[in-house]
Amino acid sequence: MTTALEKVMDALDIETYLVCKDANEGKQLALQLGREMNLGDIDIMYEEYDGYGMRVRLRKYVYRPSNHYNWLESKNKDKEQGQ
Amino acid sequence: MKKRILCVPLDPVHDVGIKIIRNELDKHGHKTELLSPDLPMEEIVKHAAFGKYDFIFVSRTLGYGVAELLARFNDYLDAAGVRETSRIVIGGKPITPELAAELGFDKGFGANSTMDEIIAYVEGKAIESTTVGLKREKKNFTDKYSYKFHNKEIESLLSDISDKVISWAKGKTSDGIQRAELRKEIIHSKNEQEKEKIYKKYNAISDPSIVDSNQKRQYIKGVRKVTDEELEQLNLFLTQNHPVAPQKIQHHDKHPLLFKFLGSGCPLLDIIHGKICERWGIDGFLVINPSWEARYEGLLDGYLTHENDGTITSFSNINLLRKSLDPSTLLTVRAHRGLNTPETVMLAGEAGADMVKINLVYGSLGAGTDPERLAVDGIYAIKLAGEHKMPFDIPGNDELSGVPAWKTLAGLLINVMLGIKLSAQPILKPLFCYGPHIVINGQMKNNYIDYNVAKINALRQIVDSPIWPGEPIAFMTQTEERVQAANANSYHAALAASLAVDAITVASTDEAYSRGPICITSRIDTIRAVTDAFRFLGNADFAPTQQAELFTEEIITKITEVLREVNKAENLPQAIYSGCLGNKDDGAYPGKFGKGTIK
Repeated sequence: MTTALEKVMDALDIETYLVCKDANEGKQLALQLGREMNLGDIDIMYEEYDGYGMRVRLRKYVYRPSNHYNWLESKNKDKEQGQ
Repeated sequence: MKKRILCVPLDPVHDVGIKIIRNELDKHGHKTELLSPDLPMEEIVKHAAFGKYDFIFVSRTLGYGVAELLARFNDYLDAAGVRETSRIVIGGKPITPELAAELGFDKGFGANSTMDEIIAYVEGKAIESTTVGLKREKKNFTDKYSYKFHNKEIESLLSDISDKVISWAKGKTSDGIQRAELRKEIIHSKNEQEKEKIYKKYNAISDPSIVDSNQKRQYIKGVRKVTDEELEQLNLFLTQNHPVAPQKIQHHDKHPLLFKFLGSGCPLLDIIHGKICERWGIDGFLVINPSWEARYEGLLDGYLTHENDGTITSFSNINLLRKSLDPSTLLTVRAHRGLNTPETVMLAGEAGADMVKINLVYGSLGAGTDPERLAVDGIYAIKLAGEHKMPFDIPGNDELSGVPAWKTLAGLLINVMLGIKLSAQPILKPLFCYGPHIVINGQMKNNYIDYNVAKINALRQIVDSPIWPGEPIAFMTQTEERVQAANANSYHAALAASLAVDAITVASTDEAYSRGPICITSRIDTIRAVTDAFRFLGNADFAPTQQAELFTEEIITKITEVLREVNKAENLPQAIYSGCLGNKDDGAYPGKFGKGTIK
């Protein structure tokens, strides 16, 4: 069965605010969040610690250029089968 | 048949939406009545029952307890027998068809509904297909310019500089020029044996890595062929999907066209990103090739994809992009880096691109090509662009190395005069950026407006030419933070709109993020931000301070001084070697690719 994640065109960004005691803990939590969400290794695109927590923008590439894109393949199969 | 419609603002305050809908229904000849806001529910139901309406249009903002209120309203209508004769419709920003059904309404219209859909529903017609497909025309923004110079000294200097370099290049050639001519023969040859012979000549003047890739399919690292299956899948995807409710970014005629880069490495991904961006209103794209293409003599053949930055500018790839994008979408191809400038222009022209990107000075100082080689190749390429009726855009990205704006602009103007003399149509592309020279010297200490305005005004006081700030706008003002990046783009775009320039290149909200390719949501982020900025600004203008005029005068004076220096040199390449248009202190170095290869 096709998963929703496979239908992501290229990348998944997560933007949130992590409560933490310092920037280092914030970064660790950001990476942990990726693992807890079953995304594996994610990249911290942007982080800014403000004394209370950290505003973060995280990215997981589902597909990179030159990959085989499941959304291109499965979409057409779905339509061919009249689904 | 004309319908009777009761419009009910079932809301203490908000009745703007229902008034707009009522006006449209009236224009279509329907008979409407509008109740005042905040009437007691019983009174509304009484009115609805008495009037025998075909439709009851209810507008309501949602909040706590509203679902219960709407359910009660529907119960009253039922009890009064209104539902036997009237269809009950709800509208409001958060309304979706599912929510409307859940609340017991016959139909719901929300933020994404169009007036066409509402009218079609009332009149019992199918929704017109005007909401599907782009239905726009290709824009030309060079024809209206005369290319007349207002500043006679600068005109005279540029004329001398251009004449000298054209005369110096006369009779000179390079492997790059010869390959362009061979490539044209290959494209037009119908005879396989003849093609084979031309390929042999082509390979003899190409880098072995390129020959191995093209002949033995031993590709450069990270490159692979796009499979036939992938091409079929793309074709199917493009046949089955079309832009729905396409957006227009410009709110006023004076607003510039919007361009984005395509250069993920994969032509399939570029095309699908491109199609989505077209729907959101993007007018054109610049195809950006991999930086390593600059180092090799010769270009790769075929449908190719690449794991890293830059899409391979093979004939097949450019042609695929051209055919897949909407015919109204403008396409420009970067040609001025490295050893394949003439051939890239040839391929772009033959594959149907609309423009090419050439700057002899930046290509030498900021992009690694030997000045003599690029002067010979570039002059040929500009002539070729003219023959193919492709305007060429001249990016001033050497400013990002630390070159002062006036040197960069002097370089752009040299290219403009070369274009005029070689019967091509040049487009000036000054940067809207917070470049290193500006950071160090403080021209943008107070604001980002005055110095960018001064660049545009200076160029306009010199020559009547199209202007397309890039590349992209907001360079070095953006971070990886999404909101900040979207804002930076929208403010610079609004400034460009205020100045009524012809086009701009807009980045994405992941432009400053260097560890991965640009993703589609980040592209849409900045398009949305710019669309709102244009709506906000409309036909109003930014008001620069008096400092902008002082900067303008200074820039013109310094451009003149730079051009005097350039004109003292034997020819343009010598001027570049000697640092007149950017030197080591400016962070600019004459490139070495192709040094000593002029024949």
